[in-house]
Amino acid sequence: MLESFRLYLHIVLRNWTVYKKDLIANISPTVADPALVMVSLGLGLGAYLTNIEGLTYMQFLAPGLTVATALFTSFFESSYGFYVRMTYENVFKAMLTTPIGVKEIVIGELLWVGLKGAVMSVGVAIVLSLFGLMNNPWLIPSLLIVGFLVALPCGAMGLLATAMVRNINQFQTIYSFIIAPLYFLSGIFFPIEQMATPVRIAAEFFPLIHGVRLAQALFWEKGILEAFAYNGSILVIQTLILCIFAYVKIRKKLIL
Amino acid sequence: MITAKSLSKKFGAFTAIDTIDLHLKSGEVFGLLGPNGAGKSTFINMIYGTTQRSSGELSVFNFDPKEQSRSIKKRLGVVTQDNALDESLTVLENMMLYCAFVGVPPKEQKTRVNELLEYMNLAHKKDARIQTLSGGMKRRLVFVRALLGKPELLILDEPTTGLDPAVRHLLWGKVKELHQSGTTIVLTTHYMHEAEVLCNRLVILNHGKIVAEGTPQKMIQDHTPGYVGIFNLDDRLQIQTLLANRSDLSFYEDSANIYLRTATLTELTSFHTHHGLLPLQIRPSNLEDVFLKLTGQELASDA
Repeated sequence: MLESFRLYLHIVLRNWTVYKKDLIANISPTVADPALVMVSLGLGLGAYLTNIEGLTYMQFLAPGLTVATALFTSFFESSYGFYVRMTYENVFKAMLTTPIGVKEIVIGELLWVGLKGAVMSVGVAIVLSLFGLMNNPWLIPSLLIVGFLVALPCGAMGLLATAMVRNINQFQTIYSFIIAPLYFLSGIFFPIEQMATPVRIAAEFFPLIHGVRLAQALFWEKGILEAFAYNGSILVIQTLILCIFAYVKIRKKLIL
Repeated sequence: MITAKSLSKKFGAFTAIDTIDLHLKSGEVFGLLGPNGAGKSTFINMIYGTTQRSSGELSVFNFDPKEQSRSIKKRLGVVTQDNALDESLTVLENMMLYCAFVGVPPKEQKTRVNELLEYMNLAHKKDARIQTLSGGMKRRLVFVRALLGKPELLILDEPTTGLDPAVRHLLWGKVKELHQSGTTIVLTTHYMHEAEVLCNRLVILNHGKIVAEGTPQKMIQDHTPGYVGIFNLDDRLQIQTLLANRSDLSFYEDSANIYLRTATLTELTSFHTHHGLLPLQIRPSNLEDVFLKLTGQELASDA
């Protein structure tokens, strides 16, 4: 148990060592994407949308963008990133000759994307709060939990995608038909309550919407405890199911 | 150290390992030979659990690789067929990471890495990125990686494929030293000479079955004793006619040469001088002859 934990940490450390070598390139989308949305939609479209549930459009967008960062950083890392490490770089082939097993690889990977999601969400939240988009900036540390809880199931979805694709181009299909719709239909850009019932129900099955609600509760200081109790529990359940499923699928790829 | 009983591995309808029985003693250098696809790598992967058997029994250090692979992996090192080095990291970063993976105490890690880099003549490349290393350097670094945990069992999966003779000889020297210091070694190779130089005992696999087993000398004695004369393909007709009524001589040919084997050197020399044939080379029979005799025919149609 203790040894497994030590190995998870070393896998996280390995990814961090590689990640920091190309820090600017790696961190660019995290910084640029929310900024772009804020400027184009927040300032541009926001000029026409002056009141959305009693908030300005910028205030409405802020929490969702914070959480979307966790989705993208974790999904891309555990799909493209993991696939490249598995297929082209053979990193796991060598790791598996050491006391590391598939369980350590999968948990280490998820821990890494979870931590990355947590840190990046907080980073985005700090910047947004500087523009006065968060009622109470002292709540920022709680976004570590939200980022972590969103990154884990989204990372597990990335691993599942990795186990399913036959070549690297096929990630594009998964992105276009699952991840991008999930991004647009999870209540980040508009209140989802006005959408048709089937869309609303479908969105509830994805982790992102629950993360968005948690972040909204924190940003707007509205029903924080209820959100953690309800949306938080759903995220934990989704995480468990997706992670176990991802482990089973990845194991089939690595152990013949 | 390793015991296999009626061990089999199937991938769907394909049988990669077909009911083999094997026993590896502690301290030997054991060779696994066989054509591509014979099951060598499958067997190697089963030892440390990245491939799991379909039936039969396998034990390594008295552990079952299916259930207790970590206990096994703590005591072995593997020179993998692909280098599988972390290309994004430097030599030192790579090795420090693997020290942590195999559980070298943090205080000893630097010393261990430096000693082994020195041992493999790589100390000057400590801070180089993997991409900048030559093929031979990468291979030596994979040896360093495999030795970090001071393994009792060292698995070498085609360790010298694609290397120049100088590096190959260097690595042979190291393998011999490791053997002398008591490390048990399992080696797969396509170079028969390498197997002859290094192995105490070996098996030849073909289609997942063991077709021959023993010391290199015994195998040659059992299957292809004597001397081999290598002749030009132009002499083929003449040799074939001459051999029509000589069942005591065996010959085979490949796309470049004709190989004629006799029990003694005198027989061979008298044969070629008597018939005015000029051999390109005369040599004692070796493992390559055994290998081709036992696996060659089928190989030709596969290749």
